[in-house]
Amino acid sequence: MEQRFANSWRMTVNEKKFIETALLSDLRTDGRGPFDYRNLTIQFGSEDGSSEVQLGQTRVMGFVTSQLVQPYRDRPNEGTLAIFTEFSPMADPSFEVGRPGESAVELGRIVDRGLRESKAIDTESLCVIAGKWVWSVRIDLHILDNGGNLIDAANIAALAALLTFRRPECTLGGEDGQEVIMHPPEVREPLPLIVHHLPIAVTFAFIGNQSIVIIDPSHLEEAVMGGKLTATLNTNGDVCAIQKAGGEGVLQSVVMQCLRIASVKAADITGKIKKAVELYKTSRDLKKIKRHPDSVNISNKLKDMEKPKLKLEKTSGSQSDDMEVESHSSKKDEHKCKAVIGGTSSWDPYSKVADADELKESLASQDVETPDQKMDVTPHEKQQLNVIDESLRDADPSPSLSVAAEAGEVKNKAESLSDAVKPKHKRKKKNLSNSDGS
Amino acid sequence: MELKPSIPSSSLIDQHVFPGDVVLDLSKITSQTIKLGGGLRQDGDLISVMKGGVLRFSKPNKYWVETSQKRYVPSAGDNVLGIVVDARSDNFFVDIKGPTLAFLPVLAFEGGTRRNIPKFEMGTLLYVRVVKADTGMNPELSCMDASGKAAEYGPLKEGFMFETSTGLSRTLLSSPTCPVLETLGKKIAFEIAVGLNGRVWVNSSTPSIVVLVSNTIIQTASMSPTQQKIRVESLLQKMQ
Repeated sequence: MEQRFANSWRMTVNEKKFIETALLSDLRTDGRGPFDYRNLTIQFGSEDGSSEVQLGQTRVMGFVTSQLVQPYRDRPNEGTLAIFTEFSPMADPSFEVGRPGESAVELGRIVDRGLRESKAIDTESLCVIAGKWVWSVRIDLHILDNGGNLIDAANIAALAALLTFRRPECTLGGEDGQEVIMHPPEVREPLPLIVHHLPIAVTFAFIGNQSIVIIDPSHLEEAVMGGKLTATLNTNGDVCAIQKAGGEGVLQSVVMQCLRIASVKAADITGKIKKAVELYKTSRDLKKIKRHPDSVNISNKLKDMEKPKLKLEKTSGSQSDDMEVESHSSKKDEHKCKAVIGGTSSWDPYSKVADADELKESLASQDVETPDQKMDVTPHEKQQLNVIDESLRDADPSPSLSVAAEAGEVKNKAESLSDAVKPKHKRKKKNLSNSDGS
Repeated sequence: MELKPSIPSSSLIDQHVFPGDVVLDLSKITSQTIKLGGGLRQDGDLISVMKGGVLRFSKPNKYWVETSQKRYVPSAGDNVLGIVVDARSDNFFVDIKGPTLAFLPVLAFEGGTRRNIPKFEMGTLLYVRVVKADTGMNPELSCMDASGKAAEYGPLKEGFMFETSTGLSRTLLSSPTCPVLETLGKKIAFEIAVGLNGRVWVNSSTPSIVVLVSNTIIQTASMSPTQQKIRVESLLQKMQ
């Protein structure tokens, strides 16, 4: 029993009295006014659907995951949404490990109610096969540090995580059209959740005999307060949920005043969340565009291409003549199209799977060699083109070059499948222009 | 010859040390007793470090490691701020942020007898002195100085208490006075009590000054002395 005494945080009489007397002159212990919100920062993890919110001292981490499950019987065509809270003793010694405490349950339910009752998330779009497979979205909220007002922080963390979360796309296939095919993110862009609006929770605390109202209570103020009220609103000013806890009675006029203030704060917070999410999304999109490693790859490929040429020259005698003619018409285009790949920053979803050695090489050479590489690529290309021109002039040369070009192409394909997708498009165009010219 | 034992450690004094560092070699010391404080241990003939921090030495023979942390490790002679948690017939249980509660004997007050035992409400803030801090025992506190006078010890009334790190409270107590308190003290009047356990109590005539002082101390914790001075001066100008 004594050990438990030592671990718990306790408040002095002095603090309690000071908070109350200071509030009489509209002062709060951290220097805020009664209706000032603390500084809010939203950060995102490396994966989609993870967020970390810092509200003053309070820190909450949100994490969203999804899974295909069977729907509830009474709602066969709706996905499910579940919220789990984790109150770690690291955040506050008064949190106990294991069974969730009263505050953990309350927090989960308030966040859940705000999202569910206002239908902020379109659950019907989470249905894959009615009655059989639906997506179940799980929100995990981890309290990392308790500096007061966990509900607001957790709610913001949940929203930010939901906004950045993307589930893998899946389609129906198979013989009976009932088989679910999941597409990995490399093949098809994952789909974001449909979020209609953002229900923002704003918490007020009532302190002292006169029931002084303050917004966003800190943990000190939470220890003193007689009651609290959490209003969940969106930008339009729609009240999604209200939770009033604690024994202190509150007048109707006070509740209305709280709602008015809350709607202003909700708009403010919504703006902050949207801005942070927007920043994250642009950085996510930018990550997909690969610049430096590509130029290295291309120059390597070009070097490689010259090697198999020699080898293939010997074996190419067995090639049929028909092949020869066909490949002749296309080989110049292929080289041109390669030049295009090298020049532009090509879309490459494979950036994650990039070869470690290649990456190292590219990183090492990034600063110094990039201008050189550009120089490198062009002479190579010219060389190649010259060779091809010569071969064209010779009218009917050995099939060696064409085969070499093809082999190069095959090799290229093997090295990065993604390159095969876009250039197709370009090749056609080039083909057209080429045929016009010749 | 007398200085010899401290020669190997002299290079480490006031330097950052890490767990495992050997501070002293006892086999080279001849007939001299040394006193070890927190963070040091004896390993046969060697004195090694147990926690990261700065090694301090006080003449003639005291060694200890100073760190900044949120928990407090009680050591005899420290002045700390404690919160009364419980009262028993012969002891008050006081929370001093240590691993265990500390005992404050009901007779450890100036002129304390069985008849005039003070009555403390739960949650009263006390300025006390650690008398005993032995391993395996709850630390013992006292509200008297060594000569049995009340000195400044006892309950603190009114005001506001906040918790910081032990490192910050040590800088607040350091002499010459740290720039924050010095600059603040020139312009405004306030009372302050700093415990080595990282608790700081501030009181003044108006709550606004208390809020200003406490927030300034917290905000300037990680600044250099010159930065602190500039910051405090700008804050004071804003207030006027």
